Amino acid sequence: MKTCYTLLAAASFAVAGVASAADVRIATEGAYAPWNYLDDSGELAGYEIDLGNEVCARAGVECEWIINEWDSIIPNLQAGNYDVIMAGMSITDERMEQIDFSEPYFPPDPSRYIALAGSEFDFDALADTRIGAQGATIQAGYAESTFGADNTILTYELPDQSIADLVAGNLDVVLADGSYLEPIVEGSDGAIVFVGPDVSIGNGVGAGLRKEDSELGAAISAALVSIKEDGTLEELMIEYFGEASAFPE
Amino acid sequence: MSVFTDGTLIDTVRQLGRPALFNIYFALASIPLGFPFALLLALGRSSRITPLAWLSRSYIYAFRGSPLFIQFFMVYSVMLAFNLSTWKPMGIDHIVLHPLFLGPLVLVLNTAAYGAEILSGALHAVPKGQIEAARAVGMSRLQIFRSVTWPNAIRIAWPAYTNEVVFLFHATALVYFTLPVINEQKDLMNKAGELFERDYNAVLHYSVAAGYFLVISALVFWAAGLVYKRMIRHLGNDAPSRMRFKPNYLR
Amino acid sequence: MLDALIVWATEWVTGTFGDTWGDRLAYLTNGKHLAWYASVRFTLIAAFAGAAVAVLCGLLGAAALRSRIAPLRWVGKVYTTIVRGVPDVLFFLFFPLAFEQSVEWFMAQRSCDAATLANATSWPPCAAAQWYLGTGEYLALACVSLGIVYGAFAANVINGAMTAVPRGQLEAAKAYGFSSRQVFWRFQVRQMWIYALPGLSNVWMLLLKATSLLSLLQIQDMVVWANRIGAPNYIARVGAVHGDWRWRYYIALFVFYILLTMISEYIFRRLRERASRGMALSST
Repeated sequence: MKTCYTLLAAASFAVAGVASAADVRIATEGAYAPWNYLDDSGELAGYEIDLGNEVCARAGVECEWIINEWDSIIPNLQAGNYDVIMAGMSITDERMEQIDFSEPYFPPDPSRYIALAGSEFDFDALADTRIGAQGATIQAGYAESTFGADNTILTYELPDQSIADLVAGNLDVVLADGSYLEPIVEGSDGAIVFVGPDVSIGNGVGAGLRKEDSELGAAISAALVSIKEDGTLEELMIEYFGEASAFPE
Repeated sequence: MSVFTDGTLIDTVRQLGRPALFNIYFALASIPLGFPFALLLALGRSSRITPLAWLSRSYIYAFRGSPLFIQFFMVYSVMLAFNLSTWKPMGIDHIVLHPLFLGPLVLVLNTAAYGAEILSGALHAVPKGQIEAARAVGMSRLQIFRSVTWPNAIRIAWPAYTNEVVFLFHATALVYFTLPVINEQKDLMNKAGELFERDYNAVLHYSVAAGYFLVISALVFWAAGLVYKRMIRHLGNDAPSRMRFKPNYLR
Repeated sequence: MLDALIVWATEWVTGTFGDTWGDRLAYLTNGKHLAWYASVRFTLIAAFAGAAVAVLCGLLGAAALRSRIAPLRWVGKVYTTIVRGVPDVLFFLFFPLAFEQSVEWFMAQRSCDAATLANATSWPPCAAAQWYLGTGEYLALACVSLGIVYGAFAANVINGAMTAVPRGQLEAAKAYGFSSRQVFWRFQVRQMWIYALPGLSNVWMLLLKATSLLSLLQIQDMVVWANRIGAPNYIARVGAVHGDWRWRYYIALFVFYILLTMISEYIFRRLRERASRGMALSST
């Protein structure tokens, strides 16, 4: 079996030339602007990419970025395909049962609804509405439990699929993180607007880690604290989100 | 410990029962349209009207020559692009884009191309002598098709078409990899993946899903074999050996 | 419907990718697009390596099916039947997972201490038994899964082709004094390829289409990039701002695969012509 593994590893080396010499592998989705995305040159970019690189520099480790689909991002962390998740993942009790989180690097971010301009909804008695969310997110869970009985909930593999379906009229509203939706609403020139109330679910965003990797978690948290304290985090927030929101004490 | 607790074999079998119905639905919903469409394409393929023959041939080639996985993505995104301009004014947007409609639609487009290839081979394999005999007794072209060509062709095509139905059933596994999931409407692949993410027991959950596919495929072969036996009953000693359960490997 | 089609077609031809040809060229050759074109390598590697494994599995499977030892025949039978009774995508997802877990199990037996092993609640039991799967490993596993699935198909084709070699030729060879081993290798197996070629070309086409599933194993293949580039974008700093363009990219992929099929068909036709020179084939 050992030979088999070595052979396979050698073959894969030759085939894709992927060497994993890095100390720490960080997984991200690469489809969640401005948090993490692939820019026009095909490179990973975004708030979390800059932040992650800064964390690695301060912790003195070499990091490698890995792109993994959202819906298998926790299982593949558990399976050991990478060591850290930085993918705009909200810290929730449910996820805390499976994985650990670092110090939050983004304050609690209310989820918000968007719809096409001109549509109106009564969120106290929502019925027969088509609500879109990304699968396996806190928003999908919230929509299912709050509106599931009288409405249709559609879940998508990628967040931008829900936006595309909204614009094409296949959805009435989309529920997602406010920080993800704000630049979209802004860039849509009034075609897409915020509707309804803000929904507070989730406790800030942090880096996800395997439970047994407490040393790595401590190192990342320490680096994050120093990044927060010297104002670098604020600069990054302003750069990517236009404003820096304060962390609750 | 009860056998029904989470993570046991029986629990997984029970939990995947309802999702299996979705796969069965996708296959069943596709055949009633897929078969006639395949027949039309098969007839069009050998039509004397050149543009019609060319169109049928290109269609068959394109849909047999590209992956179903991409056909799903393509059809969904194209249908979505027409939503505001076409489906919405007609008031059918939510039906047209619903996975329970769109899934079978793509499967129909796909299986028709494969089915057409099978049926057109069978139509050409009908014994010429029988057609000549029918013409000699003065039958019209329609009569010949109805009472000579068609019964012969369907008998010749039956084993291969059964094989295609099983392939179609297996292809339903792709539906929810490509289309949005609505509420709790999940198929075998979807649900097995969900169960896997809970306890990482890949062997258990995926094997049970595979078991569902195996058993249902075997049932299809068995039922089609029974029908085939009836079809060739009257041929007596000329009958081909009865349809074997050994599935055909080529699509 | 027709108006929409015309608008759609016009839009396609006139400037959706930019106003001038220079703009369009620049758009179609930006880093994202180049990454998309380059991702063809995963598809081709998976197709060729998968085909090599499939032929190997096919030969082994056919040998098992034709074996004089009954248990081996059953193994061949079970292999070909089970693979045929299950969707390829299921096996494609299941095999890498099961393989990873069994490798980790073996590694755990070797490198975790007994106490940890006995009390382990999570998987794998200790960090030393962690097997990291990156794109390279996934690609290798994808090739093996494709090979196993389509090897079952190939086994059946090869089995049939072995039977199709005319008995008279083998008897004639024996009459000329060749040993039965020589008859088997130099006459039956060598001629088998010619009879197997049409069936194998069919298996190749199936395998080629199955390479579109690579994205399910976290490989950044053409489907992933098409989805990514085509997705609507409203944020200028992220890249070109446009609506939902995914349909364009999927149509491009659809056409790309049809072209691959055409090329394959042409090559197999030439191969068959070459291989059947001087052969007495009743029909090809």
